[in-house]
This record gives sequence, structure tokens and C-alpha cells, in this order.
Amino acid sequence: MAPKRAVLLCVLIFLFAAPVTAVSVERTLTSSENNLEVTLTVMDIPVGGIVETIPESCTWAGTDHPDDQTRVSGQKIAFAVIGEEAIRYRVQGPSEAGKEIAGTWENLQTGESGVVGSDGPGDSGEVAQTAAPATPGFEWAAALAALAVLCARRCGR
Amino acid sequence: MTRKLLLLACCIFLLAGSAAAIPCDRDGDGTLTASELAAAILDSLDARFMGGTVQAPSPDDLRDAAFVYEHWDGRALTITDSSGRTTTLTRPLRRIALFNSDSLEMLRSIGLGPDRIVGVSKYALEDPTYFPEYQGKANLGSVWSPDYEQAAAVRPDAVFLYATISQSSCDDIEKTLASIDPTIRFFRFDSYRPAAYADEVRTMGLLLGKAEGAERFLAFHGSVMDTVAERIASIPADDRVPVYLESWNDYKSAGKGSGYDEKIELAGGRNIFADTTIEYPVVDPEAVISRNPDVIVKIVGAGELVFGGYGDDDPAPFEAVALAIENRPVWDQISAIKDGRVHIIHSDAIGGPEYFIGVAYMATWFYPDLFPDLDPRAVHQQYLSEFQRLDYDLDEHGMFVYQA
Repeated sequence: MAPKRAVLLCVLIFLFAAPVTAVSVERTLTSSENNLEVTLTVMDIPVGGIVETIPESCTWAGTDHPDDQTRVSGQKIAFAVIGEEAIRYRVQGPSEAGKEIAGTWENLQTGESGVVGSDGPGDSGEVAQTAAPATPGFEWAAALAALAVLCARRCGR
Repeated sequence: MTRKLLLLACCIFLLAGSAAAIPCDRDGDGTLTASELAAAILDSLDARFMGGTVQAPSPDDLRDAAFVYEHWDGRALTITDSSGRTTTLTRPLRRIALFNSDSLEMLRSIGLGPDRIVGVSKYALEDPTYFPEYQGKANLGSVWSPDYEQAAAVRPDAVFLYATISQSSCDDIEKTLASIDPTIRFFRFDSYRPAAYADEVRTMGLLLGKAEGAERFLAFHGSVMDTVAERIASIPADDRVPVYLESWNDYKSAGKGSGYDEKIELAGGRNIFADTTIEYPVVDPEAVISRNPDVIVKIVGAGELVFGGYGDDDPAPFEAVALAIENRPVWDQISAIKDGRVHIIHSDAIGGPEYFIGVAYMATWFYPDLFPDLDPRAVHQQYLSEFQRLDYDLDEHGMFVYQA
């Protein structure tokens, strides 16, 4: 592991450790050739929303989630969560792009929101442990997710 | 004061919006479908994070819609409270003011936290040991001396009052607050009467989206009450233990239909003054001697006997009360005194929503052989730890019962 990445992980662990209550949405990636299948595992969000941002190198390829609960706009995909415990979607793109997917979730019952945790190809698994704090303020979580992606991109270079 | 209230009333009218329709019910048919809710969620996410220009619901509408869908099957909820009043709601209650601290305890039993409570009675604020999380909430005063300015200032969407006690005072509160803000909903619950207890727990659970918590609590409550009921069922009425119950006022007992009469009956006892129609009669000491109870139960914790409970660990005052009863003239002829069956119990273990703890205690006092496995103290501890979510150890603190 590169020193910069180790530092980034330490910083993220520090940032996320204090307010964590439970991981509410986890992301699992599986890749084959130029296809990425993304599974979002949703925990304890009876009604809520998730917004995923896929990198420019990826194109949207579909989802098993109901059509009327899914909206795609450019590189952003919104999912309405109404009782589902898993959401699967597919994108086309290089397998290493998976780690650049960023997402935020919102629980409409509790008002909590957070960053979608990820655990996929190219990731050590440690990132999943650091993600998804329960915090008030969806915008804050979105900003933090964007920052994490930016840092990850820089560290990856 | 009047000017301030008028100003508050004006502000409330300006702030009040339409509350009749179910939020996000786009076709207005009175049912929020999954599709309608999904569209509202997506519109909201789209507008906030995807650069969309759709007309998105407000965050409040979206949260309320999520609640209605999740807890009320997407429909308006019509409930009947303990006063018999029927109310229909299309949105959840988010700002509740409680003049009834028994209901505050019941809400905690079903899992409602303090977030949705905006004001509480002065009695809850005067009890930081039992209601620590409510310290700092607005002080609404009491049913008998309400602080209308505070009550209006917290802009409640619902006010909880007693159903069957202090009715005229509760009526006055309702009338005054309704004149300030006609959108306030009023709910009447007693939260301590055994006969209405389970219904009230279920109604509150449904009302506040805590139906699962209500059932979980009722399972616990039922495990105690059903055990007692099953074991005493076989005892013929004439063979039931005769009991003299005395409140914190000397010789003030419980007549037919009173709360304590009901609790004695639930514990399998026979109230020796059940033939009295006055709810809480002052009885002749001679009558107690002649009716010769097998068990005497004395309530402390109020009136001139304010000691014990959660904030007091000293058994001495309990001992003094028991001794005073034993030393009453000619009372040494009473079976209960001859047999050492005088029991003191604090009102915090029998007088409110925790009444079933007191019933469990009484059942073990009346029929010790029938309940060797019933541990009322353990029931009490579980109630505190699991349902009241209090960090309070009965082995270290508190004084609730005493046997002479």
C-alpha cells in the first residue's frame, strides 16, 4: 500500500469513527470484462433514497430495481428505497472504475444520511469499514463522498 | 400576557399550512401508493443532487409521506382516544406537548424518544432521576396550573391530557389552547388505569409509529399479568385473601371501582371495602378491625408520606410507617398484624403506568405459595432497563417496598 493511501485511510477512519452508529448502505462490486455489477445492501432503511455517482469512464447499463423507483441523469442515478434490502445495477467500464463510484444515502424515517460504503475490486476492504456514518445532513455526506473520491483518484495516480 | 398570546396566535396562523391531505398523494385519492412515494423521493433527490428542475416535495412533506406509508399503510389514520373522541390524521405528530406525565412514561415504554416531545409537565421536570432526558424541555406547568404561554410558544401539533381525572381542568386547557391555535390536536389518555391500559398502549403505538414497540412492551406486561391471572383464577371468590388497602392518608382506603380496588382484584385479593361506593372513602378504624384483613397494604410516596421511590434509599421511614400501623389501638387483633403481613409500597411501583409491578408484588404477598418463581423486583428492573431505558440499579438505589 502506498504511503499516501495509508494516510488517506487513516484520515478517513478518524473522520468516520466517532459518529458511526451502523453501516446503512454497503456497496459490493463484481466485475467481468468490461462490465461492473454493483450491489447496494440496504440495512434498516425502510423508506429512503440513494444517489450513486458513476465515473465518466462508465456508462449506465441497467438495474433490477423497479423502473418507477429509479432515475438516471448523466452520471448520477437515484434510487427510491421502499422496503428493499438490496439494489443491483450494472455499468459498463473498466473494473478499476468501480472504486470511483460514490454514493450517499438518506433514511426518511430517522432523518439520518451518510456515505455509501464500498467493498469491491481494487479495494482492500478497509474502506468499507470506514464508510457510512450516520449523520444529520445529506449535503454534508455528499460533500464528504466527493472529497473521498477526489482523494482516492489522486492517491491512485 | 394576553398580548403575547395574541401575537403567538397570529404567528401560528401564519405558519399553519394545509394539513388535510396526505402529503405526496399526487392523485388525491386518499391513499399514498408506493409509486407515488417513489416519485416524490426521486423528485426530491433529482432536485437536490441531480440538477433536476422538477417540482420537488418539501423535506417535511417527504418525511411525513414516508411515515404515513410506513406506519399507516399510506392512508389517513383514524383513532379513538380514551375520552371517546375520534381524530383523523393525515400526517404524523412531530411536536407533542404532554401535561400527563403518566403518558410520558407510557410513550417511553413503547420506544418513543424525546425528539418529538416539545413540552412536559412540571412533575416530569421535578424528577430528573426518572425523566433525565426531558430536563430542559419546556415546562408546561400542571393540569391544575397550566402555563399557557409556554404551551403555545412550543407550537405543539398535539397536546396530551388525562382522560378521566381532572376533566374540567383538562377541558379548560383544551379550550384555551384551541383558541390560540385551532390546528392543535388533543388526545386524552390516562395511561395508568389497568382496564384501559393495553388499548391505550396500542393506540399510542399506532398513532406514533411505534406499533412494534407497543406490542413488545405489551408482551412483557402480559407475561406478568397473565401469570398472575392464570394462577389466581382457580381460587374461589370466598377464599380470596381479604385485604385492607390504605393510601398515604391514614384510614383513607379504596372503594369499589377505584384504581386500587381494581389492582387488589387483579392480584387475587378481596378488598374489604369493596362494598363502598365512594372511590376513596375514609373508613372507621373499628371497621377495619371487624373486617379483619389478612393483609394490609399501605401506599406511601405522596401526601404527608413523601419519601422512598427512586431518589431515596432510606428504609427507616417505611419501617416507621409499618410500626405506626401495628401500634394503632386494638389493631393487634387484626390477622394481618398478628401474622406480620403489613406491606408498605411506594406509589411509583403501583400508582402509575408501572402498576403491574405493584400487582406482582401484591400477588406474591397474598399468595406466596402460588408465586415462588415470580420476582417482582426483577420485573421492576427489567421495566426500568429495557423499557424505560434508565441506567438505574435497584440493587444499589431506591426504596419501594417494605414488609413489617
